[in-house]
Amino acid sequence: MPLITITTRDGDKHEIDAEENQTLMEVIRDNGIDGMDAICGGCCSCATCHVYVDPEFMAKLPPISEDEDMLLDGSLHRKPEVSRLSCQIRMSESLGGLSLEIAPED
Amino acid sequence: MTDFATVDFYTDSSLIENPFPYFEYLRSQGPIARLPHRNVLAVTGYAEAIEILNDPKAFSSANAATGPLPDLPWEPEGDDIGEQLDEHRDELIATGLVVCKDGKEHANHRSLMMNLFTPSRLKANEEYMWSLADTLLDDSADKGHCDLIASYATPFATLVIADLLGIPEDDRITFCEKLGPPPGVVGEEVSYEDSQVLGMSFLFEYFGQYLAERRESPKGDILSQFAQAKFPDGSTPEVYDLVWIAAFLFGAGQDTTARLLGACLRVFCENPELQEQVRNDRSLIPAFIEEVVRYEGPVKCAHRLAVKTTTVGGVEIKAGTHVALLYGACNRDPREFEAPTEVILNRPNARKHLGFGRGAHTCAGAPLAKAEVTASLNRILDRMQDIRFSEAHHGPAGERRFNYEGIYTLRALKDLYIDFTPVS
Repeated sequence: MPLITITTRDGDKHEIDAEENQTLMEVIRDNGIDGMDAICGGCCSCATCHVYVDPEFMAKLPPISEDEDMLLDGSLHRKPEVSRLSCQIRMSESLGGLSLEIAPED
Repeated sequence: MTDFATVDFYTDSSLIENPFPYFEYLRSQGPIARLPHRNVLAVTGYAEAIEILNDPKAFSSANAATGPLPDLPWEPEGDDIGEQLDEHRDELIATGLVVCKDGKEHANHRSLMMNLFTPSRLKANEEYMWSLADTLLDDSADKGHCDLIASYATPFATLVIADLLGIPEDDRITFCEKLGPPPGVVGEEVSYEDSQVLGMSFLFEYFGQYLAERRESPKGDILSQFAQAKFPDGSTPEVYDLVWIAAFLFGAGQDTTARLLGACLRVFCENPELQEQVRNDRSLIPAFIEEVVRYEGPVKCAHRLAVKTTTVGGVEIKAGTHVALLYGACNRDPREFEAPTEVILNRPNARKHLGFGRGAHTCAGAPLAKAEVTASLNRILDRMQDIRFSEAHHGPAGERRFNYEGIYTLRALKDLYIDFTPVS
């Protein structure tokens, strides 16, 4: 299973064996990592699973849809080069080694 | 006078019209309190509920359809009943419903419906919502009075789901008529033999046929897209799996949304100044809806089954215990929400209520529900001035009475008779 590193808002680092086909949001939530509300449960309609992704991996991720772009635009903490909604990224072997940080709460 | 210490939440109709005093009694016993019947721990604490909802390995959704009724079909033993649950899961109520699934299987089935609820999909659906709102209001908006639930809210919510799923227009009325009541009827005898489909057998017949046809020859409509949905690993679900999802969308998406609209109108009638404030500034509608979901949300409680003995908020929850998450109470937890019994627009944590649940089973239809209620409130305010309770039906101020459905899972106004001045 691909290994990923998640940094919480408090700066704590967690190394997680992510299950393939889970979304990053599900990986973070189901491993009991604090700080992510994921209010809409993954249907790309709330932006509370906002993360900053290691820039090296941005090119390997699926493109940002119009919906995701609109929601990220509504966040005060968007960083265009690294911001993604973690519910829109599905884990695969090619994302092994990915690191990400949970973005500040809006 | 109901004796809160001994009352049975699942069978006593005296808790239906106003459950909140009982919820406050339970809160006074602690954020997680044992009910006197049926091996249930009731959660009124917001933080404790979130902890449970975010721990699906310890708390299964297998009992989510009807909670502790009927009893588990086996005697749970030990501090981890995972294997026992696996063995007996198929004997439980409505286990085909996505709300009752756990783990990977749940995630797979949930993913089948997620693309129905994206903002762009809802935008495409919106035009229909606005014109449907007008059509339904045409029947009552000139009369100056109506039962909002029967004349508007219920047909509206049902027809929107029908449109979303792409059910042909000619068949939509049949769908409306044939839907049965939601699960959790107070005092109803439930047995494992007759409740596997919760009165939704006709949906299986109709939907099975629709979906099979569209798999054979896709028509480029929504139902065809739905018929061809794949699991995240690329495999193809059985038509049967899709029918369960569609049946669930009808069951879950119709009543809850209709009753949320009812709750919004009740709050408008109780707070005429707030009604005017929102009428004059429609940008307040989304915040108003969030607050009504917190204050009077349609889902009164949800259930989990403790699979592993776990301690939450200092209380040991033994494996095999039914956990009743009383959302109506958690959303009024004063540790989380200041002045919880007041309707306040734009609370700093307004969206953090549990009215749509939390965690893996968070309501996927929440964005749809909000879009439906937004369109409806706008059109209702456009066409009705000075909306107030019908005193003939609900009594004078200070002695109001309301009929709520006798259901322990939902807070659902059976009717809401309003008087208003038509806007010409």
